[in-house]
Order: sequence, then structure tokens, then C-alpha cells
Amino acid sequence: MSSTPQPVLRVRVTARDVETLRALLRDTHPDVGGLARRAADGSCTIEAFLSPEQAEALERDGVSVTPVEDVAAAGRERQAEVGRGDRFAPAEAVPHGLADKV
Amino acid sequence: MPYLNITEVESAVTSLATAFPGASDLIELPEPSVEGRACHALRIGTVPAGTNDCVVLIGGVHAREWGSCEILVDLAADLLEAYAAGTGLVYGGTGFTADDVRKILRELDLVVFPLVNPDGRRYSQTVEPMWRKNRNPAQSGGDPERIGVDINRNYDFLFDFETAFDPAAAPRVSSDPGDLVYQGPRPFSEPETRNVRWLLDSCPRTRWFIDVHSYSEALLTVWGDDENQSGEPSQNFLNPAYDHQRGRGADAYGEYFAKSDADDSMVLARQFCAALHGVRGRTYRPMSGYHLYPTCGTSDDYAHARHIVDERKGKILGFTVEWGDTAGGFHPPWAEMERIILDVDAGLVRFCLTALT
Repeated sequence: MSSTPQPVLRVRVTARDVETLRALLRDTHPDVGGLARRAADGSCTIEAFLSPEQAEALERDGVSVTPVEDVAAAGRERQAEVGRGDRFAPAEAVPHGLADKV
Repeated sequence: MPYLNITEVESAVTSLATAFPGASDLIELPEPSVEGRACHALRIGTVPAGTNDCVVLIGGVHAREWGSCEILVDLAADLLEAYAAGTGLVYGGTGFTADDVRKILRELDLVVFPLVNPDGRRYSQTVEPMWRKNRNPAQSGGDPERIGVDINRNYDFLFDFETAFDPAAAPRVSSDPGDLVYQGPRPFSEPETRNVRWLLDSCPRTRWFIDVHSYSEALLTVWGDDENQSGEPSQNFLNPAYDHQRGRGADAYGEYFAKSDADDSMVLARQFCAALHGVRGRTYRPMSGYHLYPTCGTSDDYAHARHIVDERKGKILGFTVEWGDTAGGFHPPWAEMERIILDVDAGLVRFCLTALT
């Protein structure tokens, strides 16, 4: 098994119309995130999370794919912002919500 | 305080129960996760369980959507601390009085289950940040790429999607274990989903159910399989006459949603969004789940479908929060996640107050 982390690209997928996008989603089952956006010209854009190979394979007539960032790399950086140990282990340690109590 | 690891989510819940014994109870879920981890929920309320109507809130279902757990832990901590101190709560530009807090704790049961999928969260926070499913290897055939079930496709609502949906529809669900939205071999095949079902069964006065996810900046109501309609009761998920017709939208089929329930759901969703907007101006949209994308086997649809399938069960209005936006994605920097927590928790407090009206 490779130890090299594989990139996962956040890409912007734009289809020329709703039917083209629906067919693409039905046929390729990409990992999508967020709402599809419809432009005035009828085109539809949605974000997807794909390997570089999957992103390339998604390109077809009526569909464009624009890479935005490597979310796997960004996520690995974010793992540094996960707590270590147990901050609530001491008996007196209780979580406090972020609202001001007034 | 950065993101909570899975040990800390559990210890946060147990420490709140210990610190506020008169206003909360620890609930042990009946089943450990696939990898054997115990799960706990917290009931918040000052009168005996079952006295008041109940809101059930769950989070940490999809592993990579880290902030969902913190949103619910902080909501519980805010309410309990404010009640004990006799204060109100201020979330940026949205505030609640001490009377509002007292009303929630005295007239409502809140059941908060912040981490439904601890195995997946651990894997996402330590190995693959984009991991979504649980870590069940049963259907993988030994292939690590085929591990896991999407818990939010494993509930019993139109589970047989190939029969239920129009062949041209593109519901976001799969029967392939290698797919990110693998539904599992059968409804409730996973201990994580069975725990949520147990909570609903154990709290028969549940009237509202909220599943916290990301992202899209939206509050989703039912249904997820097709457009909602309130004029034709026979068009519903139980009617086989409409098999192979669901999921296209803007056609002859729409999923029946009783008008009073649709209206009540939209009032609650709009109130949530308005309070959230007041915090710092973010705009979340109320909409039905179908408008995000067509789905089946999701928790909110299952929660509402229960009383239609079995008239002995109480009616539950189901919702899904989709916090956060494209820029932050599933793992916003912690500083931004703190702002999102304030946004969503303000919306949830307003939701609870609206539910009581």
C-alpha cells in the first residue's frame, strides 16, 4: 500500500444545462458538495471532490471541470487543529459554549 | 479551543451531565459503534423525561463534517450554563433573555446526540480528512477502498431506490460499497443508525428532529426524494403506483407533505434562518431536502415518515442543518468554525423557542 497521500481536488463542474448535469451525476456518481447554482444562460455549476484522474474523466461535451484546491492536503493541515488528549478529563473541566452569558 | 477529538466529545457530554445534575441526564446508547466505541447523548430539561415535548438533535454523522459535534456540545453547554446562572445568551447580534432560556429548559426536552459516528470521525481527524462513512468493513471484501456505510442513507425511507426512483433521476445514493454514499446491505444494518432509531423510540414525545451536517448554508425540511406537494395525498412514498416515477421534480409526481406540516416546518426553518442572520449577517436558506439533491434513506425523511408508516408513532417534523459555505468546506479553520457555531446555535435556540409557540 502506498504511503504517499493522494490528492483530492475540489473542482467546479459546470454543465451547459440541468439535464446535462443530471445525466453526469447519474452516470459518474461524483462526490459533490453544496448546492448546484444555475446561471442566467441556463448552465449549472456544482462542486465535486475528485482524484485528478476522476476530474479528467469528468470532462465531456457540455461539461467543463475547473480545479480549485487539494482538499485532502488542506484537511491534513486542519488535522493539526484537532485537540490532543482530553481537555475535559479533570473533574472541574466543563465545556463552555461560545455565547456571552448576560 | 480547537476541534474536539472523539474522546473529548464523549467526555464533554459526560462532564456536562455531571456538572448540571438537576437539568440534564446522561443517556447511554444501546449499541457501541462498529469498532466498539460507546456512545452517549445528553437530555436537557428540568422536569422528568417524557413530561414535555422533545427536540432530538444529532451530529457527527458524516465523519468529515467535523464542526457538527462542536455545534451541539456548545449548544448544550450554553443552555445549561445560562440556566444555572440565570442569564440570557448573546450570539453576536442575536440575543435571548434569561426567561427564554428558562422556558426552553422547563417546557421542552432537548436530547443532544453530538457524535453518532465516532469511528468515522476518528479516521477523518487522524488519517483521511475527507472520509464520510462509518468504518464497517463487513461489505468490503477486504478492500480498504470499500469500507464503510453512509449512515445517512441507511434509514428506512425508500431504501429500494432502484424501484422507487425514475431511472433518469440521479438520487445521491448507491448500492456499491465502494461508493461514498453506499447505503448498506439493508435498512438499519449499522449500529449507528440503530442508535438514532432507538433514541426516537425511547423519546415518544419527540416532535422535532434536527440532523446537523455541512455544507450549503441551508436548513432543509423534508422531503428529499422529490418536490413537495400538499394537494394529492395518494402521491406518497408508500404507494407503489408511483414506483419508477420519483426524483425528477417539475413533473407529475410530488411527495405529499400535509399542508399544516409544511407550513409549520417552513415557519421553524425561517425563524432559524432569521436568528442566524442576526448574529453576523450570514444568509441561510430554508428549502426542502430535494433542492439540495435527490436522496433517500436519510434521517430527517425517516423521522417524519415514521408516523405515516405506523399511526401509533408520534408525528415528527424533520430537518437537516447544512452549516458552512464553499470557502470553508468541511473543515473551516477553527477561528471561522467558532463563528459558524455562534451562527447555528443562535438559530437552534430560536428554533426551540418557536417550537414552543
